[in-house]
Amino acid sequence: MGRRKLEDDDDNNNSKEFKSKNLQAERRRRQKLSDRLLTLRSLVPIITNMNKATIIDDAITYIQELQKTSQVLSEQLLEMEGSSEESVMPMKLEIAVAQHDMKKCGIKEEVKVSNIDGNKFLIKIIVEKKRGCFTQLIEAMNYLGFELSETNVTTFSGAMLFSSCVHGKYGDTLMVEHIEELLSEMMRSMKTSSQSAIELGNTN
Amino acid sequence: MKVYEESGCFDPHSLTDCQELMGLPGATPTNCHNSLEDTLNVSSYNHHHHEDASAALDMEPHQHYLLDNTTNNNSHLIPYLTQDLPYDQSHWESFNVVPSSTSPEAAAAAAAAGAYTPTPDLLGLFHLPRCSFLPNPSISFETTPGSPSVVYDPLFHLNLPPQPPVFRELLQSLPHGYTVPADDKDAAGIGGLYHDGDNGIIQFTRDISMAGRAKDRDKAGKTTKHFATERERRVHLNDKYQALRTMVPSPTKNDRASIVGDAIDYIKELLGTVRELQLLVDKKRCGQDRSKRLKTEDAASAADAGDVEFKSLGDPDQCYNTSLRSSWLQRKSKDSEVDVRIVDDEVTIKLVQRKKINCLLFVSRLLDELQLDLLHVAGGNIGDYYSFLFNTKIYEGSSVYACAIANKLIDVVDRQYAAAPPTSSTSL
Repeated sequence: MGRRKLEDDDDNNNSKEFKSKNLQAERRRRQKLSDRLLTLRSLVPIITNMNKATIIDDAITYIQELQKTSQVLSEQLLEMEGSSEESVMPMKLEIAVAQHDMKKCGIKEEVKVSNIDGNKFLIKIIVEKKRGCFTQLIEAMNYLGFELSETNVTTFSGAMLFSSCVHGKYGDTLMVEHIEELLSEMMRSMKTSSQSAIELGNTN
Repeated sequence: MKVYEESGCFDPHSLTDCQELMGLPGATPTNCHNSLEDTLNVSSYNHHHHEDASAALDMEPHQHYLLDNTTNNNSHLIPYLTQDLPYDQSHWESFNVVPSSTSPEAAAAAAAAGAYTPTPDLLGLFHLPRCSFLPNPSISFETTPGSPSVVYDPLFHLNLPPQPPVFRELLQSLPHGYTVPADDKDAAGIGGLYHDGDNGIIQFTRDISMAGRAKDRDKAGKTTKHFATERERRVHLNDKYQALRTMVPSPTKNDRASIVGDAIDYIKELLGTVRELQLLVDKKRCGQDRSKRLKTEDAASAADAGDVEFKSLGDPDQCYNTSLRSSWLQRKSKDSEVDVRIVDDEVTIKLVQRKKINCLLFVSRLLDELQLDLLHVAGGNIGDYYSFLFNTKIYEGSSVYACAIANKLIDVVDRQYAAAPPTSSTSL
């Protein structure tokens, strides 16, 4: 490798003192490599010979073996998943639970937008938590041409709080009320679309 | 001693030099074709009989040069050499002198091997037929007189069934890549590199080489004749390191120490993944068995009250698998970094991505796909990067595992990154 050539150069060109400086560094380097090789050897269960080259060989073999094992296992898992009879909590139930929790804590759905500075807005949305609602929110943001510079999402008692500092990507200065309106409408459509999806799911 | 010209490939012409060099007192060109056995047996080389490494003279380097080369045959050496060297068939024809050897063995072997020399590789140049020591596969080479011999069998570790001598020869003369079919750890290209007589070679050269010589580096004390084997050995070793590097998912620096370091980390990661998968499989199997059992119990409930009880007593399905799943993986690519930690059913994902497009959408889509329930997300733009932290929970019934998450995530992010048109930095 390149190291060796460098070494030779050092030996040829430099004076004795440089040689000794390099010697220490070289020793340390070799020590580091040898320590690591030792660690590698300790990890690999099947070792044939005990020299440097074979430990690399054995490591390669072992890695391949492990990869094969993990692949077999994951295929097995997929198979089992396909034939699984475990019941997954149906979505409707989830939503019902979420709604119930929210009511209990008195959390209301909400959309609030405030203008920070010119193009920047702070958006706060509280929505009922369901599968994929975060994705829908992000889609909404994208649609409005907002770039999220700072995002925070937390969930609590079946509700999701989305708060984000955004700025308008397209340079439009949308009015606050306008944004709030758009967002509320989007959320409503989100809700109805999911409702119909559930019903569709139920009838199937 | 002639200076061995170091070139990237073996020059057939140089072999004539070697032959001359190997010209032993009273040797004819046929000496080169003698089996090592023969040379060992020849009385005039008594000192070689002892394998006295320190008395390394002309013969020894050649011995192990021969050995080295002959046993190198299955190695990557061939492709690498055949690439570089426009070998000339005519040349090594001339090397196929029928050995006027003393032992019929050698003759037979050489003859048999001679049939194989016209393989398109440089083995002929190295006088492969001389690996006719193979018929006696337990040639031993000792570093010090009287020390227990290292039985050198280049094909030993392939775990082949005992072969007749000629077949061994055959194997030796096979060009690279044609490993024995039984060997399933096989080779496509680099893979087959190390499943060769390397073990034997390296050991052997080390043994036979001059005592007191530094392990890897040869300083002034090295004779020029060692160039060949030493260089080959180094190249061989370097190729192995590279092979190791290619197996690791996110290799970092290209020097030996970090390659080994990456390999260590990767092995640990693989062990964790295997353990995790095993756990998941067990849990799933447990769950399936339990639900099956419940079904059969339901079916047979009324009449077999006693049976049910009995069943639940000796319940083989009882999962003593109360162990908590925990795993941690990292994946790095050029522009992004993913860190996935799973404890039981909670997954924490950290994502750092160079700012170009906001891939939050794609990431959240992927998380939905993976059946991960978002509990908490935090992140945003930091300087040149986007950094996010996702706390999620695995939905009941899904058996997703850390490795899959990490790989898919980095894949999605990289793809989006690649697909996005290069935007100007002032994209506001």
